[in-house]
Amino acid sequence: MSDVNNKVNAVLQKKICMLGAFSVGKSSLVTRYVESIFGDKYHTTVGVKISKKELTVEEQEVKLIIWDLAGQDDLTRLRTSYLRGTSGYILVCDGTRPFSLKVALNMHKEAREYSGDISFVLIINKFDLQSSTDWELDQEQLSALEASGIEVLYTSAKTGDGVDEVFQKLTKKMLQEHNVLENT
Amino acid sequence: MSKILYGLYDMMNIAAFRLNQDDQFELITLSPTWLKHFTPVGTNKGSIVHLDGIFPFLDCFVAEAFEVWEAQTETPHRSGPWVDFTPEGEEFPLEATAVCIDGECVLVIQDLGEEYYTEASRLQTFRDQALEKERLEIAITEQTQQIRRREEEIAMTLLAASGHRDHETAEHVRRIGLYAEALAKELGWDLEKAADLRIAAAMHDIGKIGIPDSILLKPGKLTQEEFEIMKGHPAIGADMLNKTRIPLLNMAAQVSLCHHERWDGTGYPKGLKGEEIPIEARITTIVDVYDALVHKRVYKKASSEQAALKLMAQMVGKHFDPALFQLFVKNLPKMQRIRQAYSEPTRRTTISA
Repeated sequence: MSDVNNKVNAVLQKKICMLGAFSVGKSSLVTRYVESIFGDKYHTTVGVKISKKELTVEEQEVKLIIWDLAGQDDLTRLRTSYLRGTSGYILVCDGTRPFSLKVALNMHKEAREYSGDISFVLIINKFDLQSSTDWELDQEQLSALEASGIEVLYTSAKTGDGVDEVFQKLTKKMLQEHNVLENT
Repeated sequence: MSKILYGLYDMMNIAAFRLNQDDQFELITLSPTWLKHFTPVGTNKGSIVHLDGIFPFLDCFVAEAFEVWEAQTETPHRSGPWVDFTPEGEEFPLEATAVCIDGECVLVIQDLGEEYYTEASRLQTFRDQALEKERLEIAITEQTQQIRRREEEIAMTLLAASGHRDHETAEHVRRIGLYAEALAKELGWDLEKAADLRIAAAMHDIGKIGIPDSILLKPGKLTQEEFEIMKGHPAIGADMLNKTRIPLLNMAAQVSLCHHERWDGTGYPKGLKGEEIPIEARITTIVDVYDALVHKRVYKKASSEQAALKLMAQMVGKHFDPALFQLFVKNLPKMQRIRQAYSEPTRRTTISA
């Protein structure tokens, strides 16, 4: 069996981090992904919540260690040392709160400074509210981000739309980055 | 380490580990109940525990802990809280502390229990309030934008009314506003103030509404007496616009009053000089002259841009603020894009200034 096949057969463990402002739905996304459930009530995260989930990407089994970091606000700043050893991160913002995009982009900058050029995706959560008057994100700004090479995905932890795809996509990116999968 | 300390560890429901010579963690306390959910059956005092496999969080923290141990500092270094889940899904809020005791490297893990939930509850209250504040700010911003749109509509209606009597086209006034806004942004003004200038600059000639048709629409040269009447339009405009408390219209009043003032003090109506002339008016003066020169009027042909700029360069220091003129020249490509997008009389396309 070739080296490549050996790599593909072994279960890989990858650490990823959820980053974003408070109350954008990071924990809800993780709960939706790991346990397939959603609770409407907001429960703030203190410190870090660690969950695990196994998935398969193009026949490669991966065990994700998901670090759900407390949302950033005036009292809680990103402890960049939590990013140690992470293979990728998900930047989460809330489509009804323009400020959360600003926070996510600032955290992206901090993460870049600490971890370098690793895989990430930017997600706009609460997409189930997209057609309501509460939806506030500036589409032009998002288009500009996409044009700059940032992959923007839309999710709803409430309905589950787009959630699995985000983790699949990030995992695929990480595997490609580490040459486990061919770049496509 | 003293027996008292071990006793204390046992009482506090914490797990303490000593880093042995093989860089393995040896449990030096009794195994607290919560630890039993994570470790193999039979783990107890003296057992070697592979912490990194059990608590992924410690992968990260142990690297920090080694710094503490290598520095032999006795000041405890705390990891901050983390929540881990047992294989059965039960959650435990934990915190690790690295400390050097009597030269030994010790890692203490504590079940935070209620302390964690109390802190979470405190933070939850703070964040609920912060969310409410954010919602209110969004609502206020939306209402402010709505008011602003209405103000702009009023201003544009006034402008349209005055435009019916003048030969200036809607495109001309729109261009003046856009040129001025572009320069204001280059000066680092905040976007709202720059947007105010877009409207205010466009209204610079609104006072012409008070000039008799016989003078305003006269095809030939004005007599001295007629010119004196014409010179009243800045003050008429300012008087019209000054009667409100709307910042946009107050800025427009300033622009109207001072757009015929000159840098060297030879302008009218007040003969203001240099920076005595409000910057909004100084900007408007430059872009108004530029646009008038490069476009055709009933009484003159359009100048080429090169000719216009040559003429304008001769007016620097007399008519124009030198620094602003320099900025204008530097941003000529932006001005050209505005000219193209709002050319006369073809259909316009959308651009960003």
